[in-house]
Amino acid sequence: MQLRTFLAKDMREALATVRADMGPEAVIIASEKAKGGGVMVRAAVDKTEMEEKPAAAAMLHTAEPILAADFDTGYRDGLLRRLRGTGGVEKKNTLSFDRIELLAALGRHRLPDGLAHALAEMAAKAQLSDMTLALASALDKMMKPYPIDMASANALLLVGPNGAGKTAVAAKIAAHARLAGRRTTLVAADSAGAGAVARLKTFAEHLDSGMATAESAAELNKLVSECIPNRTFVIVDTAGFDPRDAKARTAFTALGQIGRVEAVGVVSALNDAEEAAEIVEALSTLGAKRLIVTGLDLARRAGALTAAATAGIPLAHVTRSPFVAGGLESPTSLTIARLLLDEQRSAQ
Amino acid sequence: MTITAIGSGKGGTGKTLIAVSLAHAFAHMGERVLLCDADFGLANAGVHLGVAETGDLKGVIDGKPLKDAVSRIGSGRTGFDLLAAPSGSLASLGEAAVTRLCTALSQANAYDRVLVDLGAGVDGNVMSVAAHADEVLLIVTPDPASLTDAYAFVKLLLRRTTTRVPQVLVNMATNQTEGRRIADALVSSAQAFLRAAPECLGFIPYDPRVTEAVRRQSPLLTLFPQTPAAIALEGVARKMHGHSAPLAAAGLR
Repeated sequence: MQLRTFLAKDMREALATVRADMGPEAVIIASEKAKGGGVMVRAAVDKTEMEEKPAAAAMLHTAEPILAADFDTGYRDGLLRRLRGTGGVEKKNTLSFDRIELLAALGRHRLPDGLAHALAEMAAKAQLSDMTLALASALDKMMKPYPIDMASANALLLVGPNGAGKTAVAAKIAAHARLAGRRTTLVAADSAGAGAVARLKTFAEHLDSGMATAESAAELNKLVSECIPNRTFVIVDTAGFDPRDAKARTAFTALGQIGRVEAVGVVSALNDAEEAAEIVEALSTLGAKRLIVTGLDLARRAGALTAAATAGIPLAHVTRSPFVAGGLESPTSLTIARLLLDEQRSAQ
Repeated sequence: MTITAIGSGKGGTGKTLIAVSLAHAFAHMGERVLLCDADFGLANAGVHLGVAETGDLKGVIDGKPLKDAVSRIGSGRTGFDLLAAPSGSLASLGEAAVTRLCTALSQANAYDRVLVDLGAGVDGNVMSVAAHADEVLLIVTPDPASLTDAYAFVKLLLRRTTTRVPQVLVNMATNQTEGRRIADALVSSAQAFLRAAPECLGFIPYDPRVTEAVRRQSPLLTLFPQTPAAIALEGVARKMHGHSAPLAAAGLR
């Protein structure tokens, strides 16, 4: 008996998919409301004429003994074959478009339902047979990659909630800018946070970068006006706060209004997807022009990344390593589509 | 005398624990019980019970009388006899040997009930023993693979016996609704493709005490008689024994 589970918007869609995928003989053997909307349907079909396996005793006499050496040899041969790319089992790398499978994959990555359905809808409209490309084309309509140009950037103000990784991102940007031959100054606007200045200072020393503190918007303004004329790249690390909270937002506004300083939102990929989207939307109203998503190496579900990337601010970079030198990656819609469908591909 | 075989197709569904617990429950109800571990290759009812003497199953196949081959587990009202082979000693059992064992079991008139714990899988030996039983208890868990394997079991048993349909027991269900859903899924597949309607005997809830009892190598019904899984198992035994479960066990509000 073949058994499959389908996730669909409603019963009608589910039934249609079951018919299409498993044929008219398929029988629905279970159905329930799926968590977070839609229905989950389990269907079975029995087309195979099964034979009893011979008893274990009979098999023992015919089966070749499996030796450790054989396993090693087999493994090595297989590896060599794959490395040389000759013969062997070709791994199929393209997935054919299937809306239900796509929705299921997005669900596994904990994308909010609305976003998942919108993406599936657009992916279906793309009329591409390759599911990864179809999803990428849908993502393309909703997000915009906009990497930071280290050679020409003047001043960045990193904003975001506590623990998103602003200080580490500041260090990473400084490292990249130094590699691009720029002079940099790391600025701590978070002089109240315990150890915040010391940590930034340590980074600055290692990166051979300038270091300053700014207690107020006026001080920061002054600092920026001094640095820009001599081509020093200013990277400002701020105190973390919840951008959705009106009071915290007011406190930040003064910093955000300094001319020539571009606000860059920083959010963690470890958020719940909906939280991430809300935070990004709030950062956008604060004037953030780009977004950096951190901690992708820790996140096993890409819901927060996808929701953040599609929440209205262009995506500059993602970070995927705790090391300062392990830098800033610039993801495209195709990278994210691959990430979302990774499991699907390896299952194939 | 009734021979009850317990099978599941898939491994790890809790067959042996259920077999051991039912043996206890039936003995407690006054039945004379023989528990036969027919997982020939890897018999482990003895491990669950924490006993060294597991009886001489090989001897029975070679013609030794049952009464000399079994090993007594417990004493008094909840005692029962065990017949098993040490794990690993009977890996390759031919068809003739299996038939001799089944014949010996079907003549075990000193007992009211013979419980047979089948091995995992649906190979020839497993299905022969199942086909010789008077009733077959099929264990299903919420794992979808368990569902397809249980279905395969029903199909192969029907092919051998043409009429025999197992009774279904859902194990490790998180709640009654899930248990009902699993049972319904199996029943509707069997109805749709095999024109057979297995009866659902009940649900054993998922219960961490079960793992604890297995780990301590003590029977669940002795160690944690008040735990939900133990109560459900006793209810199943009562149902099979011919009495309906008392109202309290069925959830009197």
